[in-house]
Amino acid sequence: MADDASLLRRDPIKSSVGNVAAQRRRRQAVAVGKERRESLVRAKRFCRIGVSGSANGEGDGEGDGDGDVSPDIDMVVDEEQSVLEAQTSSAVEELKAAIAYQGKGAMQKRVSALRELRRLLSKSEFPPVEAALNAGAIPILVQCLSFGSPDEQLLEAAWCLTNIAAGKPEQTKALLPALPMLIAHIGEKSSLPVAEQCAWALGNVAGEGEELRNILLSQGALLPLARMMLPNKGSTVRTAAWALSNLIKGPDSRGATDLIKIDGVLDAIVRHLKKADEELATEIAWVVVYLSALSNFATNLLVKNDVVQLLVERLATSSSLQLLIPVLRGLGNLVAGDTNTTHTLLLPGSEVTDGVVKVVVKCLKSEHRVLKKEAAWVLSNIAAGSVEHKRLIYSSEALPWLIRLVSSAPFDVRKEVAYVLGNLCVGPTEGDARPYLIQEHLVSLVGGGCLSGFIDLVRSADTEAARVGLQFIELVLRGMPNGEGLKLVEREDGIEAMERFQFHENEDLRNMANGLVDKYFGEDYGDDELAG
Amino acid sequence: MEWNQETLQFLSQCFLHTLSPSPAPRRQAESSLADAADRPSFALAVLRLVAEPSVDEQIRQAAAVNFKNHLRTRWAPASPAPDGSAADGAAAAAAAPIPDPEKEQIKALIVPLMLSSSARIQSQLSEALAVISKHDFPKQWPALLPDLVANLQKASQASDYASINGILGTADSIFGKFLYQYKTNDLLLDLKYCLDNFAAPLLEIFLRTAKLIDETASSGQAVNLRPLFESQRLCCRIFYSLNVQELPEFFEDHMPEWMGEFQKYLTTRYPVLESSGPDGLVLVDELRAAVCENISLYMEKNEDEFKDYLDKFASAVWSLLGDVTQSSSRDRLAITAIKFLTTVSTSVHHKLFESEGVIQQICQSIVIPNVRLREDDEELFEMNYVEFIRRDMEGSDLDTRRRIACELLKGIATYHKAEVTAIVSAQIQNLLSSYAANPAANWKDKDCAIYLVVSLATKKAGSNAVTTDVVNVESFFTSVIVPELQSQNVNEFPMLKAGALKFFTLFRTQIAKGITMQLFPDLVRYLTSECNVVHSYAASCIEKLLLVRDEGGKARYTSADISPFLMVMMNNLFTALRFPESEENPYIMKCIMRVLGVADISQGIAAPCIAGLTSILNEVCKNPKDPVFNHYLFESVAVLVRRACEKDASLISSFEGSLFPSLQTILANDVTEFFPYAFQLLAQLVELNRPPIPANYMPIFEILLSPDLWNRGPNVPALVRLLQAFLQKSPNELSQGGRLSQVLGIFNKLVLSASTEEQGFFVLNTVIENLDYSLIVPYIPHIWHALFTRLQNRRTMKFVKSLLIFMSLFLVKHGPSNLVDSMNAVQPNIFVMILEQIWIPNLRLIAGNVERKLTVVASTRLLCESPFLLDAAASRHWGKMLDSIMTLLSRPEEDTLAEEADAPDVAENVGYTATFVNLHHAGRKEEDPLKDIREPREFLVTSLARLAALSPGKYPQIISENLDPANQNALLQLCSTYNCPIV
Repeated sequence: MADDASLLRRDPIKSSVGNVAAQRRRRQAVAVGKERRESLVRAKRFCRIGVSGSANGEGDGEGDGDGDVSPDIDMVVDEEQSVLEAQTSSAVEELKAAIAYQGKGAMQKRVSALRELRRLLSKSEFPPVEAALNAGAIPILVQCLSFGSPDEQLLEAAWCLTNIAAGKPEQTKALLPALPMLIAHIGEKSSLPVAEQCAWALGNVAGEGEELRNILLSQGALLPLARMMLPNKGSTVRTAAWALSNLIKGPDSRGATDLIKIDGVLDAIVRHLKKADEELATEIAWVVVYLSALSNFATNLLVKNDVVQLLVERLATSSSLQLLIPVLRGLGNLVAGDTNTTHTLLLPGSEVTDGVVKVVVKCLKSEHRVLKKEAAWVLSNIAAGSVEHKRLIYSSEALPWLIRLVSSAPFDVRKEVAYVLGNLCVGPTEGDARPYLIQEHLVSLVGGGCLSGFIDLVRSADTEAARVGLQFIELVLRGMPNGEGLKLVEREDGIEAMERFQFHENEDLRNMANGLVDKYFGEDYGDDELAG
Repeated sequence: MEWNQETLQFLSQCFLHTLSPSPAPRRQAESSLADAADRPSFALAVLRLVAEPSVDEQIRQAAAVNFKNHLRTRWAPASPAPDGSAADGAAAAAAAPIPDPEKEQIKALIVPLMLSSSARIQSQLSEALAVISKHDFPKQWPALLPDLVANLQKASQASDYASINGILGTADSIFGKFLYQYKTNDLLLDLKYCLDNFAAPLLEIFLRTAKLIDETASSGQAVNLRPLFESQRLCCRIFYSLNVQELPEFFEDHMPEWMGEFQKYLTTRYPVLESSGPDGLVLVDELRAAVCENISLYMEKNEDEFKDYLDKFASAVWSLLGDVTQSSSRDRLAITAIKFLTTVSTSVHHKLFESEGVIQQICQSIVIPNVRLREDDEELFEMNYVEFIRRDMEGSDLDTRRRIACELLKGIATYHKAEVTAIVSAQIQNLLSSYAANPAANWKDKDCAIYLVVSLATKKAGSNAVTTDVVNVESFFTSVIVPELQSQNVNEFPMLKAGALKFFTLFRTQIAKGITMQLFPDLVRYLTSECNVVHSYAASCIEKLLLVRDEGGKARYTSADISPFLMVMMNNLFTALRFPESEENPYIMKCIMRVLGVADISQGIAAPCIAGLTSILNEVCKNPKDPVFNHYLFESVAVLVRRACEKDASLISSFEGSLFPSLQTILANDVTEFFPYAFQLLAQLVELNRPPIPANYMPIFEILLSPDLWNRGPNVPALVRLLQAFLQKSPNELSQGGRLSQVLGIFNKLVLSASTEEQGFFVLNTVIENLDYSLIVPYIPHIWHALFTRLQNRRTMKFVKSLLIFMSLFLVKHGPSNLVDSMNAVQPNIFVMILEQIWIPNLRLIAGNVERKLTVVASTRLLCESPFLLDAAASRHWGKMLDSIMTLLSRPEEDTLAEEADAPDVAENVGYTATFVNLHHAGRKEEDPLKDIREPREFLVTSLARLAALSPGKYPQIISENLDPANQNALLQLCSTYNCPIV
């Protein structure tokens, strides 16, 4: 009811229902669920074959950390865990002895002791990290990282640390005393293999969580890692990009904002997205994901430097799921960002916009649930734009898919799709006025049969899904011509779905649902009763 | 309050006396405690008393209850008074919050104390802890969760299940917020914190207990198994809370462990425990139900991750349902289990139901047995008709087996409609044949058939598509329903009668008028059934029939149709209100209201009705109980008065004679619940009178001006309404005895608070609209002063719009120069400021037909009559004003109506405390202050054309310089529509 005017009194006023999102939705910065990227690329990576695995250190021999690369030839996987642990303890003791030894061949002795420990830490599916830590490996490994040590020693020590850091949270945290030295060795004076191995260890540490990320940032890990990412190719660049994506994950935005300000970083991102192979592009895309998720400043710069176009290009040409997921999410973040930027960029009718819609629709049609969900999320943010944006999606080939998906897809996809459809039906917000309703879209979507999908969402245990469902019901009740909305909602058992909230603990949902039932199906409804 | 022997004595005595059966010492003790509650460290002292082993258990228990309640009102930090507080007046001066140091001490004490307490005290303290966590957890209480985890581990080592379950119960209540709050970053941070700390220990204790159950289930004693099952149930509930927002990583990683145990509980029997008395089975079933809720959640939200487990769970639930007998103690399990299958049936995995014979079997072995009436239903039907109707007719049966079984059918029909329809039709025929074979013995089969048809109808009442595929409605009605309705004994097989009436009600639009009219006397007859459900359903059916409209909105049943039965119907309705437990039957009263709204009200009807209604009114005044009944009672009075007087104005005095004593009782005895109704009825009576208003109203007018009444928020809209009625009917009385200044004092008070400012404007607008300018002139400076002050202090959108409407009304009633001059008299040139900052920018936001017309006309007159705007120097203002008018006029009405600002909720639902509820039948029609102007657009262009003709060439230029191109176009179009060119 719109009783603002006070000349004459009307019926009492119920609390307003508001509108479907009607504005862009940023992602929650806090992750509770399993990171989907992790099923494809782990946040922490175990190192089985060293970065210098092939003689020149620049080759492609290193593992991609996925755990499923072919193991060392000399590896004996079936060894008893207890045996392995015992061996590890004694290897640490050996290493201590080797360090203490000052005589002839001391260096050789140290390296071979290190190599033995590294071998033990790399061979099993369940590396004996705990045993190594209990035996006191960390202080001794830190000692091995001291300045002036030969590369081989540094490499082996960093490798050991990498795999310790790939363990459980407490084990990763054990690396704390080693961090300053690891950071010291990723500087420009280090050899590439050493720097890369240290970056890998740091990446694992950063992957652990906010607390360790903050420590790494305050110890200055960002700048040297960023510089490692600047060259055109090589595994070092990839490892650095991966470590950086872990380091800037937030939820604090400081890392992201600082990274994009570093000279050459923006340029390198653009360059890699344009030219790099899919593997490197994947890592870079993850960097873009976190930059754009956390930092408005970075988002603006990325948009100004045509990153949207580059992402669209990648989406159009690649079929690698590993790559598509971060690229699509990055694109979504950019679209969800600053409204002005996206307004100027995503001009309806422009080539970029058509490209975006096209590739997003491609992902929406994919079989992969995560891609579908991400795609729907991107569309929901475009649909939150101007009337022209809404028309664009409305008249695109996405529409029939969306209508189908809102009733029949897995839950999280349905929820995202509901935001798209809802946003298509309300006009953009202007000032303090409430967004108006785009009746043409509403009528056609409801005619297409999407209402039942929304009502199912109202019945869901998920409060957000319920909210978007209720908001859509409100649009239907208010906006369908000739009061048809009432009948439709009733026919789809919408009243019953809303009545579930009569005593719900979420006040907002309760008021919304009760308000709608009272307003549209309260005493007055009977007065309009029509016969069949 | 210092903790010493004396305090202990004092508190013990008080709590002991609060348990006393005699009122005097009890009240004394309660008031001493209430006083003591304001002293510092009171909560702490009470908590210490709870911890004191030497004190009697029941005293400590009473103390624990008091402690919990004390925390409820005083733990939250004092919130700043909401700015609308003036109207809420007496509404609880907030109790002083507990100081922070005391809070810290309480937090340090409560966990160990709770864990070492007896079960009853433990549950009180656990609730108290939940109250604290609601505000403090986790950020202000970082020690809690680690503390609970440490205690859990300790208790787990010792297999101390009293403590384990206490801890789990507490965890369950502090995690409850994840169930209903929106997903925000803050909530997710809290969730993450809880998961990081609790997910692993939870799994650990769950698996540990599972192992204990496995080891002792067959050999152990029931008494030892009980706490174990309770513990698992709590773990399952915590599982739900932690998983409801999204699937946490830890739980995804440990699905095999969880699901393995879940499945075990659904498929294993625990004879030792299940046969140890009825509650042994309940305990196991509660665990199973909790498991069903968890797997339903996964099925709904995480179908991908869950799909590998689906087949096994579906068959487990299926065979479980086969076992769940009709005993009501297993209801919850049956319901949650059926819900799981329903979720599956509508999901992407619905193919599970495709195998040959599956649907048939579900229908036979799950749906029909659960839809059949059980003894519990019969008992409810007889013992608690209100609750029965709520479930049976009003959709509060979401959690009954009958309803949920039908939901399952509907779910399966989503993808297998034809099959379901065929099977259900056949089942219904079977049930009906069984009934026909032996009606007396098999009447429940018929009930079951009716229930199935009604529940599976594609739609409930009202819409075009009230239809069902499972039977032919007309023939079912004739062969199954009509015989029941025509049965001569209104008290026989009441549940079948109720079912038949319900069917009639729901399919009322489908049943032809001729048939309905034949059955109408039967409906009237059923009002005399002794059975509460039956006479309620008969009343409800009549009431709903009178609302049926045919295409084109014409009522299908008119006064002529019901007049043959009217007398006996009214008689039966009032008689029904004398049946035991139906004295305040809302269905009957609603029917009375509806009939009075339709019927031809002759004096012969009016007299007994008003007598009947006032006697009921006098009765309920003594103790208002059912707000719904009372609402319809007042509506009935209002509609009776209105319609009778419409026909015969002279009846007003007899109504006054009947109603005044009751209304006076309400006012004199301070029946506050009814004040808003009483004022609305009075307003209606005043409006129906021809001036002069009878002298006996004048005391009421005096009451109306007493500020006390206005302090109670819910009264305000009703008082405004009454005041408006007085002002319109007898403006002259107002000018006497300083009453006008009292009225304006009320306006002043109302307009200061955001929650009542709108009401304030109603008062002001009525004054401006109805009184001569000469009468109000002395007060105008005060009015402007009050409004401008308010504008300066707090400029809300709603206030601005109200102000704009008030200024417009002022202008059309008393002319532009009075408006402008009186404003500028308060402060020089303020009018221009208001024009620039308020009028022009906000005009486009005005909503409502009457309001838009008023503001457009007023703005037009300003354009054409105000010397200031006509001055060449003000041409930009002139242009912008016109631009705003055009913007307003080009917005579709629906749009502006949809706009809703921060409106006060003057009316919540009908509640037990006094709230303002609008009386529909006592309402006034909206009055248009500008009846002589038909169309504001026409008024605009004709006025502009006339003005422009005086100085040709001047205005087209201003228009092209200042109006938005779209608005220029729209204006041109308007000019041509009305053939009034602007030259």
